Amino acid sequence: MSEVIVITSGKGGVGKTTTTANIGTGLALMGKKVVLVDTDIGLRNLDVVLGLENRIVYDLVDVVEGFCRVKQALIKDKRYDGLFLLPAAQTREKTAVNPKQMIRLCNELREEFDYIIIDCPAGIEQGFKNAIAGADKAIVITTPEVSAVRDADRIIGLLESSELRNPKLVINRVRMDMVKRGDMMSIDDIIDILAIDLIGVVPDDEKIIVSTNRGEPAVTDNKSLAGQAYRNITRRVLGEQVPIMDLQSEEGFVFKLKKLFGIKSS
Amino acid sequence: MEESSITFKATANGLILIMKEEEDFETVFEQISKKLSAAGKFFKGASLDVKYRGKVLSEEEERLILELMEKKTGAKVKSLQLDTTEPEQVETEHTNSMSSTYKVKNFFFKGINEGITKFYRGTVRSGQLISFDGNVVIIGDVNPGGEIEATGNVIVMGSLRGIVHAGADGNKEAIVAALNLQPTQLRIADIITRSPDEEETRSELIPELAYVKDDIVYIERFLPQYK
Repeated sequence: MSEVIVITSGKGGVGKTTTTANIGTGLALMGKKVVLVDTDIGLRNLDVVLGLENRIVYDLVDVVEGFCRVKQALIKDKRYDGLFLLPAAQTREKTAVNPKQMIRLCNELREEFDYIIIDCPAGIEQGFKNAIAGADKAIVITTPEVSAVRDADRIIGLLESSELRNPKLVINRVRMDMVKRGDMMSIDDIIDILAIDLIGVVPDDEKIIVSTNRGEPAVTDNKSLAGQAYRNITRRVLGEQVPIMDLQSEEGFVFKLKKLFGIKSS
Repeated sequence: MEESSITFKATANGLILIMKEEEDFETVFEQISKKLSAAGKFFKGASLDVKYRGKVLSEEEERLILELMEKKTGAKVKSLQLDTTEPEQVETEHTNSMSSTYKVKNFFFKGINEGITKFYRGTVRSGQLISFDGNVVIIGDVNPGGEIEATGNVIVMGSLRGIVHAGADGNKEAIVAALNLQPTQLRIADIITRSPDEEETRSELIPELAYVKDDIVYIERFLPQYK
């Protein structure tokens, strides 16, 4: 039974694409057959984050316009066998695709893959409507900023009115030291406002920037704290019960020492 | 007034005389005489090759017209003969075949050595597509995500980091040249190559040229290597 999951946030720059790449790669690492669909037509990024930009010949728009078959447009990941990418078109606009076409595409992909992860563009216009059209489940990304939480709230409302109930929440770029000082919203504050199930908390990690630039998702990096967080999210997507990482206790000297020697934090 | 049954057309080295086929020789002869008188001394001293169309003349008739032309114009008529070359294709048919180049496989843009060219000044940024039925010259850079598509050659007077497709309608003779050739993907006709995954960043500009030989894309410097 395959699942179509849309990763969305409303606000831009909170980590939709990074999360898509990491959850997708994580699922592939667990032996699942996964396709990542980039619906951000005109501002595609997922191919760059995965390091697959130079392999693109056909894209999403070519597929829905019947210019090529789905299989021709799918790009196999260079590292993981079960991971595929359906890239967005760069020289077109969001209006090149409509929700009906997306539903048809998702249903076609269901036959081949266990998980179809859709990377949603920022905003609530046509691109968003396309992205959520064929989805069964939604994961909403936010950061501990008032503006991001406000947009996430709006998105949750829109998802619910589109029959996508019970979206899951990922809180990205949390800095525990700032939360402690009271300079950043805490996880509880955010859940209080959004009132949906938390599926993961990802700490702010310099390694994310490095891995994004290299085209290698952080989830594959055992030393990265963010990578560990994404591995946990992946397991929760698969239905396992994994406790939320306690970021608080990991601060301090022992943690820094562990990190220095690259010991995996559980 | 009676409509003229003859017309003169100028060519590169002479004249074409077009006559109505149904007109008898006397009428034609008279009208030529009139027309040439009207032209006055315009052709004086010139030497002309004259061809004629529309009416087949006997040798005797040819001689009469030739004499008449020499007498009336004062020009030296070198020859007078039936024009056998095919009339030029009508312009509309010509453009039609040009626009269907993508459909007809064996007919592609042939202006590789000299031909219609688009010049673009500025940076071609991500998401921009420069597409042209001919050669393309970019005076600037092509950034990653930018795309150039030409049925002829592509020349980039800057860094080429985006996607480039030369000979897009199937011409393998097409080339791609850039002052710094590091495309994400390079296509010539139906041959696709991509940059290596290991990113090599080089500081100095190396002008390079890409071409196809035996269905393989070759890349080489087009300026002698200097050190």
